[in-house]
Amino acid sequence: MRLKRLRTAAQIGTICLVILVPLANKKGFTFITGTLYSLAVGPVWITDPLIGVQTVLTTARLDAVLLLSLLIPVFLAFALGRVFCGWMCPQNTISEWADRVAAKLGITRLFRPQPRALPRTIVLAAVLTATPLVGFPLASLLSAPGLISAQAGKYVVEGVVGLEAGLIGLIVVVEFFLVRRAWCNYLCPVGGFLGLFRLKGTLKVVFAEDAEHVCGKCRACVDACGLGLDPLGGNLYPLCHNCGDCVGVCEALKERGKPLSFRF
Amino acid sequence: MQSRFLRPPGALPENEFLATCIRCGKCVQACPYGTIKTASLLDGVTVMGTPVIYARDRPCYLCMKCPPVCPSGALKRGLKEKEQVRMGTAVIAKKECLAWQETLCRSCFDDCPLIGEAIIMDNELRPVVDDKKCVGCGICENVCPVDPAAVAVRPGGKG
Repeated sequence: MRLKRLRTAAQIGTICLVILVPLANKKGFTFITGTLYSLAVGPVWITDPLIGVQTVLTTARLDAVLLLSLLIPVFLAFALGRVFCGWMCPQNTISEWADRVAAKLGITRLFRPQPRALPRTIVLAAVLTATPLVGFPLASLLSAPGLISAQAGKYVVEGVVGLEAGLIGLIVVVEFFLVRRAWCNYLCPVGGFLGLFRLKGTLKVVFAEDAEHVCGKCRACVDACGLGLDPLGGNLYPLCHNCGDCVGVCEALKERGKPLSFRF
Repeated sequence: MQSRFLRPPGALPENEFLATCIRCGKCVQACPYGTIKTASLLDGVTVMGTPVIYARDRPCYLCMKCPPVCPSGALKRGLKEKEQVRMGTAVIAKKECLAWQETLCRSCFDDCPLIGEAIIMDNELRPVVDDKKCVGCGICENVCPVDPAAVAVRPGGKG
């Protein structure tokens, strides 16, 4: 379960980042500044690709600094898939942990659709189409990780959070009672956009059986998937965000010859 | 469009600013004085998340740390000289102003960062704002002893 421990550390690390950066900035330490919309680590600027592209759409201008800051996340997505979602995004962390609580409590959701990428793609297309029409950055308003970190910053400066923080609460309630993992699976435009950066060689979960890699049909991977996907069925992308939980349990159960693995 | 809000130094004209600002909050964090606040959903969907300054609570001290951190260029990153800031213009309400009502007061004149330029005292010792020099930082609005302040910055949206 080394993978899982690493990932939990990354998730908690991101939450710490979101809280500690504004606190450190307030004290005058400004090596890292910003939020999950746009972060500056010393001279290196990193901006959420969707947020950058939306700004190009609203302003009809190409700002070199903004475009350069998209390179790292785009490269990361091409190389490792949507690891931002699976390993960092605080909304995913919150949803995942709430989902585990719901599972412990034995809550069955009102609606139980099969996760499909189409609804999220439609939401993304709608957001990108509407953005130049309304003339303000719609995606910024709908970026859950951005909202969480910007509201953390607002809390540090002002001691209050805005009403928009309620979106996060709304997501949690909806996912708890109505649709499991509704935001990440069906709605999130940030994740939808990151899912577009995919090549043949992008890191992926592969289920492959041969003489030395045999599936014991234990289905532990299916239970392990926090998004409710089926790693045995294939066709995981773009919904899978490479969290590695399925690969992790497969490893744990079959020390040698596990059929599930990460591959480029 | 006349802005309802006073924006940080270097901000683009209001409409353009609303289109360009990605609501990331970096300028909020860069402000060492806690001057820059974040507009919330209650202020309106279009302005939610944008940086605002309430000068009466805390004005801009023109340290110029926020423009260079803006990732989208909603604040002009190249702006370095505080004299070139045009966040707005201070407007004196002569009926409320102590000096204009013949009580000695020169709080705004004394604390104006563009000393003797943006606010000058006329020959009857009454403060007068020079629209061409005033940067709109709001320090005068902050220090005015009258309540509510007899001088207030009208957001200008010219950076």
